[in-house]
Amino acid sequence: MNYVEWLRIRNYLRIVAIILGILVVLAIVLRVSFARYMSPDAWIGHMHTSKTVVTHVMLPDGTKRTILDNAADRTHVVIDDRGYAGKHIVVTEPTSRAHEDNSNVNFGSVAVHEIHHGAVTVTTIDTNGAVPMLYYMALADFVALIVATILAAALAREINGHLEISLTKPCPRARFALGVIAVDAAGILAASLMTIVAFYLCQLLFESARLDFSGINARAIAIGVVVPLAWYAMLLAATTWLYRAYGAVLGFAWPVVILLGILTAIQPTNAVALFVHDVAWTLSRLDPLSYVSFASPAYNGAMGDAGSSDFGLRFAIEVLLFVVYGALAVWQWRRVEA
Amino acid sequence: MEKITISNLKKTYGTIAAVDGLTLEIPSGSVFGLLGPNGAGKTTTFKCMLGLARPTSGTVLYDGAALAPATLERIAYVPERNVLYDWMSVAEHVEMNRRAYASFDPARAFELLQAFSVDRRRRVGALSKGMRTAVMVALAFAQNAEVLVLDEPTSGLDPVNQRHVLSLMINEAAKGNSVVFSSHQIGQVERAAEQIAVIDGGKLVLQGSVDDLKGDRKIVEGVFPDVTYGLDGLAGNPRVARVDRTERIVRILVTGGADEIAARLAAAGATGVRVLDLNLEDIFLYAVSPGTATTDIVVKEPTA
Repeated sequence: MNYVEWLRIRNYLRIVAIILGILVVLAIVLRVSFARYMSPDAWIGHMHTSKTVVTHVMLPDGTKRTILDNAADRTHVVIDDRGYAGKHIVVTEPTSRAHEDNSNVNFGSVAVHEIHHGAVTVTTIDTNGAVPMLYYMALADFVALIVATILAAALAREINGHLEISLTKPCPRARFALGVIAVDAAGILAASLMTIVAFYLCQLLFESARLDFSGINARAIAIGVVVPLAWYAMLLAATTWLYRAYGAVLGFAWPVVILLGILTAIQPTNAVALFVHDVAWTLSRLDPLSYVSFASPAYNGAMGDAGSSDFGLRFAIEVLLFVVYGALAVWQWRRVEA
Repeated sequence: MEKITISNLKKTYGTIAAVDGLTLEIPSGSVFGLLGPNGAGKTTTFKCMLGLARPTSGTVLYDGAALAPATLERIAYVPERNVLYDWMSVAEHVEMNRRAYASFDPARAFELLQAFSVDRRRRVGALSKGMRTAVMVALAFAQNAEVLVLDEPTSGLDPVNQRHVLSLMINEAAKGNSVVFSSHQIGQVERAAEQIAVIDGGKLVLQGSVDDLKGDRKIVEGVFPDVTYGLDGLAGNPRVARVDRTERIVRILVTGGADEIAARLAAAGATGVRVLDLNLEDIFLYAVSPGTATTDIVVKEPTA
């Protein structure tokens, strides 16, 4: 009954696949171009001076260890190159002032751990850590939200040009609309999945990528799945009700939510600004994107909103928005006349 | 399906009544022509029949039951305008209907498309207006429906394909199915339809079998020697449906008993009195164009 929507999605996913395919090809080109820089030998030469002693050792497990020792600078670097399995680098160097401190910075598969102990700083760099799924979901959602925006005029397009076909099928109206929503939801999730696979392939070109699904990442996946669907449902309801101007609805959707986001974020300094801020905040409650934060555990291990204690509430609101907006779209679809 | 009954159907848009108290009965096994000038309410009537528009009042019943989603399995529709998906191929439209209707016959659809010289691989957006109509007609006739509602099904088609569509309609009626169609080409309606209804301003103005309407109605034409002449005795005559006068010529639409009216004209001094048969176009035009009502006949005394 929803064959047309399947065809529509097939076409959009084909475009997504082409774009992601180009991305993977670019990654391959990049990988080939930078192949010789992947080995430490290529860049060690640029690092050390004539006073540095460089030693190469092959460990029993196949790890290629390079030790750079500069007695004059009191700098000692150990690089364990495990090839495709990544690198483990320990840098020991003097620090300018004596203090006790340590810090962690994670970005993607790279983890940097720094310890200040007395007058010495030891920095440990691991390049093959597990990549938080949070990053993948952020990328996947970016693509999924674009696809959702395009698909969200599904019912409006039918109303504007094809009602005589869609409403004369032997199918209750509500079932037809629910079918369209189900097919589009599958398409949006497929776009997400394709993006994750494409970026994973890109990462595999450079290292044996491991993904971290635990803790905050599991929650990010849950939010990442439901947010594009809630966004789609919101636009579907808007375009179905304002079907004559569905193009304008889709065109202005992003600028409006970005504007609301800015107005909500700005700290009010006077009564008028406070009023505008409050109105923007109230309106933004209708927007599924306002319940999302892309804050990550990358910086000093700080937990983002996806991992915060109100995750359950935010997730429930996203699901609720999806259901309510979807119901509004179906209700309007049941009312339309040719 | 035995019959479609439209009872006191009314559909208003704001203050405008597109259909105003229409009552029709469409039997099965016939081709039924719905005629009317532009804006008469034909398309709105079809939309109400198919559930595309909700009647303001009145009912449309299929064998005594209101339209339900399952009923649409048995109804094929060719809309007045192109509603196909421009970005889809013709073959994809066939597949769309195959999935939607259990009784749809894709082989029949491709056969019809071939007869209309439509390439199934082409995108609909690349087809001419006539070819798009042909696609819609092919999809409708391949549905094996019991009721075919065709809103100007020959629009944009060449004469050969127009004739083909008429043959398809007659074949469907011969199989016991109901074909309801509208067309501005009265000749086609006359050729295909057994029964017609003429609507104007949303109201039914004429209904009956084509043969009865043609057999029952005559034009009595008389030429008077002078522009002033009397038609004494015609006013209020129940057989006189309308009178059109153009200077010395008077044409009287008569329902039954034309000889009596011809005799009266001759008695009034008319020369060259003739009784003329009507074709469907005449009947249609008399039904929808304003004429002189019988009560308004101006009777003037013959000049001495």
